[in-house]
Amino acid sequence: MANEPLPPFSSSVRLKYVKLGYQYLVNHILTFILIPIIVGISIELARVGPDEILSLLRFLNDLDLIYVMSTLFLVIIVGTVYFMSRPRPVYLVDYACFRPKPNFRVPFSTFLEHARLVPQFDERTVRFQVKILERSGLGEETCLPPANHYIPPTCSMAAARSEAELVIFSAIDELLNKTGMRPKNIDILIVNCSLFSPTPSLSAMIVNKYKLRSNILSFNLSGMGCSAGLISLDLARDLLQAHGNSNALVVSTEIITPNYYLGKERAMLLPNCLFRMGAAAVLLSNCRRERSRAKYRLTHVVRTHKGADDAAYRCVFQEQDSEGLTGINLSKDLMAIAGDALKSNITTMGPLVLPASEQLLFLFSLIARKVFKAKWKPYIPDFRLAFEHFCIHAGGRAVIDELQKNLQLSDQHVEASRMALHRFGNTSSSSLWYELNYIESKGRMKKGDRVWMIGFGSGFKCNSAVWKCLKTIKTPVDGPWSTSIHRYPVDVPAVVKVL
Amino acid sequence: MTVSVETRRSRVTVYAKSTAPSLTPVKPGKTHEFTALDHSMSRHSVHLVCYYRQAPTVTMTALKESLCDVLSYYPAMTGRLVKNEGDGCGEWMVKCNDAGVRMVDARADTTLDEFLATATDEEERQLAYWEDVGSDPYLWSPYCIQFTDFKDGSMAVGISCTHFHADPTCVAVFSRAWSETHRRALVTCPPFFHPWAFYPRKNPVPSSPHLSEKSTIPPPLHPPAMSSVTFAFSASSVRQCLADLQLSNLSPFDALASLLWLQISSYKSASLGTAQLTLAVDCRRRMSAPLPLGFYGNALHFFGVKADLSSGWSHIASELNRHVSGIKEDDVWSSVEWLHERSKEKAFQMYGPELTCIAWDNVPVYNAEFSPGAIPVYVGCRIGNVQGEGLVVIMAGAPGEGEEARTVIVTLPTDLTAQIYRDEAILKYGPKIMFSPNI
Repeated sequence: MANEPLPPFSSSVRLKYVKLGYQYLVNHILTFILIPIIVGISIELARVGPDEILSLLRFLNDLDLIYVMSTLFLVIIVGTVYFMSRPRPVYLVDYACFRPKPNFRVPFSTFLEHARLVPQFDERTVRFQVKILERSGLGEETCLPPANHYIPPTCSMAAARSEAELVIFSAIDELLNKTGMRPKNIDILIVNCSLFSPTPSLSAMIVNKYKLRSNILSFNLSGMGCSAGLISLDLARDLLQAHGNSNALVVSTEIITPNYYLGKERAMLLPNCLFRMGAAAVLLSNCRRERSRAKYRLTHVVRTHKGADDAAYRCVFQEQDSEGLTGINLSKDLMAIAGDALKSNITTMGPLVLPASEQLLFLFSLIARKVFKAKWKPYIPDFRLAFEHFCIHAGGRAVIDELQKNLQLSDQHVEASRMALHRFGNTSSSSLWYELNYIESKGRMKKGDRVWMIGFGSGFKCNSAVWKCLKTIKTPVDGPWSTSIHRYPVDVPAVVKVL
Repeated sequence: MTVSVETRRSRVTVYAKSTAPSLTPVKPGKTHEFTALDHSMSRHSVHLVCYYRQAPTVTMTALKESLCDVLSYYPAMTGRLVKNEGDGCGEWMVKCNDAGVRMVDARADTTLDEFLATATDEEERQLAYWEDVGSDPYLWSPYCIQFTDFKDGSMAVGISCTHFHADPTCVAVFSRAWSETHRRALVTCPPFFHPWAFYPRKNPVPSSPHLSEKSTIPPPLHPPAMSSVTFAFSASSVRQCLADLQLSNLSPFDALASLLWLQISSYKSASLGTAQLTLAVDCRRRMSAPLPLGFYGNALHFFGVKADLSSGWSHIASELNRHVSGIKEDDVWSSVEWLHERSKEKAFQMYGPELTCIAWDNVPVYNAEFSPGAIPVYVGCRIGNVQGEGLVVIMAGAPGEGEEARTVIVTLPTDLTAQIYRDEAILKYGPKIMFSPNI
């Protein structure tokens, strides 16, 4: 996405006020048009006097009943058709994130020691992993599952299942406690976990544990990468349109245990260093009675898939290396492809969320460049006017830096993402929920605020979801940040020397 | 049950190794320095094994969690050794880099009672896994905690560490703090990190004829293989010993230490004359500014006791009593200052080559209750790398046996061990023999 700064004269104060005035004018154009009309009508009424008004009313009285009734029914029919064809609202009743126990934490020094003690890694591999870890933006409190604490890691299927049970069940237990939802009332269950897909699926595991109904609509999405959380949300939303008065439970997680790469291919070592344990359980509903206690309403979901492009398709690729070990290969042009996918996504998202002022400016700039061939830079709409909060997938420090640059966000906007990366690491599809919880725990979420969740994933996909906050969230918030929020935000240095 | 140890496979199997971090991250840049006493002990290791009956809260998972919790109070334990670049004591110091302690999971193919009755010396050693420092000390955990599950659900917890991090008292206090953390009770003896406790006085008088003599002894060319045997004396046997001595004011330690000294010496040479025994005594409480029990590090004072062994058991016992009660604080300081002077040189063998005895029975070791009211069934302590004539450890006995009960762990050259546990004079008092080299 082109990111040259606008011409210098735009930073002058006078132009800022001009811009502000323009925004107010265009965004409230209807108000500005209506006010003179109302003033005109009231002046006219005042001038005309009461007799004319009374004569108007008598005229209406003389009309045939049938005309009156037809008009009334027409209005009623049009109103009904309008209300019935509106999509069902999707409310987020509540969500819960897995809280890792601190005895699973992985300090940098332990990570380095284990990398050196595991016989499969040579010196070069170890040094590379340490270099990645130092620049990763992770903190000392991120957690790995129990199997990864062994020397060497015990990556059995049983260990993977037990990690899945640990993270998923504790998130769902917390959610059911918070909402008071009875498991029998869950109508839709969607689970997404990219790298671990046993038979029976993880959704079947949940149905078994919580004794869900036999006519539940359950889905298990696997292989869809870190943006699968938003794909599950989209699926849940579509299902909730088809089925009225339903509750949907969406579980997003990534199981680390079976995916520890024990080879020497450098591009495949990054997930070892960055991925950490996490899970989130979200309760969505389209029942009207949930409106009063729901926290958010889902307004838009936009999905962009760049898989048609070969480079994007092979960007995050799981394959076997020359020794036959399976790992996830991250290509060098990941950032460029991510930027491209983001551009695509916001091109679709922009018209849905941007205020009219920005859209007009973008239109003018586009016309000028394409039709009149003016040598202007492409206008980047200011998304800060459309959203109060941003949750950017904490894929790594580079991803957050790139998005901050592209969208021209301030440090405070990306603070949630950076701090979630520092405290929890890259928890894949559930990272957006840890970031949302950070914003809530800091007491920044007010009624009417709009949140933009952006997820990136293999494929290459860029998905976004827009939420509107329905009630101010009061602190203190009971969530994964309860024990640590008072220590944040921290300043994350560019390079942390491994102790 | 007369199967020799070479042909019988050990019943203890180690199956996994992992690392336990502390719950709270350590502040970067923290270090722990060693004292002169710590440096002097660097050739040895301490191994403490506590055995517990089956209890619902005493499971491997729960213990590992509480271990991480208690490690938050012990940043020196989770650190790693680095070279001491400054002018502190010794070659090494600890960089508190939050790397954690090593944990080892094991299982024993027998029940707890059967193990305590029939296990050999070798099998007991396998309950406290230990790896010597390899090529890179920075990757080596100075502490190693082994959890062994028995067939009946009982558990043995073995804590091993280098002697220059901690002495046996320190390890026992740690296990007590761990058990209190496990029960969510208040930690009664929190660790006290104060390497300056043994810094030389303003006017040092470094002198330790005993230790200077030890330091000049060259290491043996072919050190003999050592093995151990444990004698568990009940309170009545100890009282019988004291009664036989017919002297008042003697403690169980005096009686048992002198008995063993006499008997061991009698096997070494036919004629008995003046001999010297090295005693190691915990001196935390003997300093005029007494150190708390939770003082982290070494506080063992080594000194020599000479006695004429031909004068009889009573004479030896009273000599021991006189020396132990007559330790002067000045002597402790002198030997600390002497060690401090030579702290940059290589450490010499402290346990050996002459016969050494540790007076450890005044330190409570049976108070590590992981489950409320469930104290360890048995606690054993060993010292690693004992050479020469051997070591006698006298520690508190199992509480069920009475207040005067004592456990005596004798480590001697193999042929001498075989003779000592059949010794009539010792067996006269009916001690229970455990963990012998051959059944």
